[in-house]
Amino acid sequence: MIRRTGPDCAHPDPAASLAPLRNALLSRRRFLIQSAGGTVALLFGLRNTHAAEEQDPWPTLDVVLRHLLPSEPDSPGAAEINALDYLRFVVDDPKVSAEDRAFIVQGCQWLNELAQQTHASDFIGLDDQRREQLLRRTAASAAGENWLSTLISYLLESLLTAPAYGGNPDGIGWRWLSYVPGFPLPGPGTRYPELPL
Amino acid sequence: MSRDFDVCVIGSGAGGGPIAYRLAEAGYSVVVLEKGPWLSEQHFTKDELACCRRAVYTPELRDEQHVIEQADGAAGWQSTPTQVSGWNFWNGNCVGGSSNFMSGYFHRLKPVDFKLRSTFGPIDGANVADWPIEYADLEPYYDMTEHLIGVSGKADAHANSESRSSADFPFPPTLEHPISARIDQAAAQLGFHSLRVPRAILSQPAMGRRACEYSGFCGSFGCSSGAKGSSRAALLDHAVASGRCEIRAHAKVTGIISDARGRISSVEYFDHEGKTRRVDAGIYVVACQAIETSRLLLSSVGPRFPDGLANNHGQVGRNLLFSGGGAGSGDLVFDDHDAAETAAMRVVGPFVNRALDDWYTLDDPQLGRVKGGIIEFLWDHPNAVARAENAKWHDGELVWGGPLKRRLEAWFRTDRTLNFEVFNDWLPNDDCFVGLDGRVLDRWGSPVAKVRIGAHPQDQRVGRFLAAKGEQLLRQLGARRVASSVGPAPPANLQAGGCRFGNTAEAAVLDADCRAHEVENLFVSDGSFMPTGGSVPYTFTIYANSFRVADRIVAQLGGARGQA
Repeated sequence: MIRRTGPDCAHPDPAASLAPLRNALLSRRRFLIQSAGGTVALLFGLRNTHAAEEQDPWPTLDVVLRHLLPSEPDSPGAAEINALDYLRFVVDDPKVSAEDRAFIVQGCQWLNELAQQTHASDFIGLDDQRREQLLRRTAASAAGENWLSTLISYLLESLLTAPAYGGNPDGIGWRWLSYVPGFPLPGPGTRYPELPL
Repeated sequence: MSRDFDVCVIGSGAGGGPIAYRLAEAGYSVVVLEKGPWLSEQHFTKDELACCRRAVYTPELRDEQHVIEQADGAAGWQSTPTQVSGWNFWNGNCVGGSSNFMSGYFHRLKPVDFKLRSTFGPIDGANVADWPIEYADLEPYYDMTEHLIGVSGKADAHANSESRSSADFPFPPTLEHPISARIDQAAAQLGFHSLRVPRAILSQPAMGRRACEYSGFCGSFGCSSGAKGSSRAALLDHAVASGRCEIRAHAKVTGIISDARGRISSVEYFDHEGKTRRVDAGIYVVACQAIETSRLLLSSVGPRFPDGLANNHGQVGRNLLFSGGGAGSGDLVFDDHDAAETAAMRVVGPFVNRALDDWYTLDDPQLGRVKGGIIEFLWDHPNAVARAENAKWHDGELVWGGPLKRRLEAWFRTDRTLNFEVFNDWLPNDDCFVGLDGRVLDRWGSPVAKVRIGAHPQDQRVGRFLAAKGEQLLRQLGARRVASSVGPAPPANLQAGGCRFGNTAEAAVLDADCRAHEVENLFVSDGSFMPTGGSVPYTFTIYANSFRVADRIVAQLGGARGQA
């Protein structure tokens, strides 16, 4: 299989296609962070970084994930695929860069600050329509779009990677999309954090 | 003089494995130094996170990276560290190297590949050179590779097929997908001649390895049955079992030490604990994949080699090769077919195993008489998250919620995508080479490789010609949304050149036996030796040449030893 994953190379091979997307995302984010003076807080224009850091991000992340991938009668959403637990695995995983992990959490805090500015409420306190409006507004900025894109990527991982990593319980995501996984699948002892690397 | 080993091999992939296997078989003691861990069948699963979304089988780019120089569009070159771009040039750093993760399309080079310069003449802007050996010199080693690595196939008559010393492959073809017969039919309708592709995958149990289990997850995954002919499964496991080969995993070589006479005296490496170690041997073989082989030689200065080992003529790192060409795809839409055809298309597991080899050389009104290439057909890679990622963008906007779910349903349920990959020569040129970066260091403090990736424009012209043929076949199959992409960006996993072999030290790093002209106890046995790369994936030829080099090393050491 050819692996053409150059940043300028639009390649129809989807095995390769993830890399340029991620790469574009990462390099763009790095550029933005550098432009903002080197911190994610500055990137998002946080006015009260200290207060924001003290807030538990996970309830907000839970609501955002459920909004991005809603549950429906015939198809699983963030709740059914254990997306929040999966995201905790990601945020604890040293194989994910510290910068990426911090970005997930801090972007959430920025979202709450934006919600306070515009609606005098945390994101959780908004109704569905206002949540959608706020996320659309978030996606209109490069940094906000990067953050949401990152969350959607991890949602898709939670939907479609091996259940051993905490998402996709009993292959619910695979069944929904009529996808046939390979075998053997990773399990206890063969998940990548457990390999003798 | 007492030495630790007869032979020290740096790198355990397709270049290093045959040396270790044959030298151990001939009664010599061998040590193999491998930077990565020693994983085996029990560790390999069909895990998209491990294979393709986390740095599990390759280094973290923050620890080890490359600096890539691309044309800036204004006659200059722009350097970008890969930690910034994310463009990963590592292909598998563990025992067995990237051969663990290959797809195993095993096409031989053809006789014309050994003499491109004398066949087609010089090309402006390209450093095309004939090889110092001919097809007949390598043919016995292709045959040896087919038997020792385990190649499954059927030697069908084809007008462009090269000659063979064995009538057929040692193992029958792997199981084939229902689409393969349809490709044959479509090719015949177009007047093309489809070729059944030999695979380095066992179709039957043999040599202590299980047969393919047809999971449908092969390329970019490690093999959990042992059927794939990786250097580890096919060669190193046997070499270790002989009792004469020691593999040292987590051994990162930082320098090859040479003495005042210009001979290598030892190799220095860091072990898993970060301690500096040394090992010495009579003969040293470098096989770290092309970019890293050139980097190691350039880094290894000594009293006789101020500019790097074997580099007193400034040839190390020059004429790096990738593979020209590109790729295309078309969607076979289930609604266009009846239930039986749709069920057949949905089958997961058996291989497509089809290529077009009608244009290995071309005489075209626009292109003239030039070297062409091959077109390989394969199903869309099965990675699910990678496929789903395509659904999250629409017209440059992020999609989520219900619309994202409807797009996922469409992407997964309504069609199956058939791809093709074009392989044609990457013409060697002065703008494609390996150097050392002056600023970026790896985690051991060594300068990383700086790789300039300039491509010759003829590569894209030939690639587009072939891609048009691939598109034609997909349309004949009834595919929709047929498209292809041919560009100057190199595929990072198809590397060769940098230490070309040739008859003079002025123009080549290695002699015809792949021994360094300037260092009598140094051989290079990965794809670095190739002055031109041919128009097929490199692994088969790297294996074959490495078996050939192994015979030369045995001869230099005095022949096979009587074994207890």
